[in-house]
Amino acid sequence: MNYWLLIIAMTGVVFTSRYLFLEPKLPLKLSDEALRVLSYSAPAVLSAVIGPLVFTHEGALITELANPYLIGAVTAVVLMLLTKNTLLTAVLSMTLFLIIN
Amino acid sequence: MITPRTEIIRGTVDMIPLIVAVIPWGILVGAYGIESGLTGIETQALSLTVFAGTSQLVAIGMLESGAGFASILITTLLITSRHLLYSMAMRNDIKDLPFRWRSSLGFLLTDELFVNAQREDLSFNRWYALGGGFSFYLAWNLATLCGIVAGAFIPDLSQMGLDFAVVATFIAIVVPMVKSSSVLACVLVSTVVSIYCTVQGYQMGLLISIAAGMTTGYYTYQLRRRK
Repeated sequence: MNYWLLIIAMTGVVFTSRYLFLEPKLPLKLSDEALRVLSYSAPAVLSAVIGPLVFTHEGALITELANPYLIGAVTAVVLMLLTKNTLLTAVLSMTLFLIIN
Repeated sequence: MITPRTEIIRGTVDMIPLIVAVIPWGILVGAYGIESGLTGIETQALSLTVFAGTSQLVAIGMLESGAGFASILITTLLITSRHLLYSMAMRNDIKDLPFRWRSSLGFLLTDELFVNAQREDLSFNRWYALGGGFSFYLAWNLATLCGIVAGAFIPDLSQMGLDFAVVATFIAIVVPMVKSSSVLACVLVSTVVSIYCTVQGYQMGLLISIAAGMTTGYYTYQLRRRK
């Protein structure tokens, strides 16, 4: 496979998805309803990325509680709720994860 | 006083926590690229031009397992389609800016920039978004470079669990967003559905989960408003 062609094609696909609706010539009016639905996009996306990383391994569900990803994730949630500090939460939970992994 | 300069600096400073958190992730992409047989230049080119962590990681993983051109591209399309939602949500703020602004901010429109530029307590400012987006771009590419260099010396660097950086970052972003029962419902449904789809091996799993989460959030909001 030509890797450069792949890189160029991926660049095209990703940029198009990011740019498409920023284009004013695109006829599209967003209603308040649509904007309300869209306000849930970020939490939905981020959760959908986190879920499989924490609870699955190579396509199989992890049922054990002694799962470093789960322990790290719970720690991150608790730290974030307590401290409301993004940096502290990310650094501490990553450190804990690297120690127990 | 608000000037372009102060806004660029403010955007950069506000991005620092996410920049720090993305470093292990960038290192992972660099090291994994080398390990999968890409050259250093190709690995760096992915970060320089594609600039999308999840797409890059998945594409590299697919290359390693011998997937073909078309299937990698289709998977990229599925993963990146969430950015359509972001550009739709930012449309009213950005569509009337000149092309150079639209294309730059579009290119820089990652999960992280979307979250920072959309914060409820701030009204949209192009310089603020540019500062955050560009500093994040620089950090991502430097971290990739570190990964490429380190990956050449340390075997199995990509097996060390650096992908937990993704989990930690996204949790730190999501938790403060959960301010209402509708967002909570959205997060829970999206998580559970994504796990189910992964276990079932659905190619469209990410999209299905996002759609389920957003729909749930919206209808929970409607239900609560009617009461």
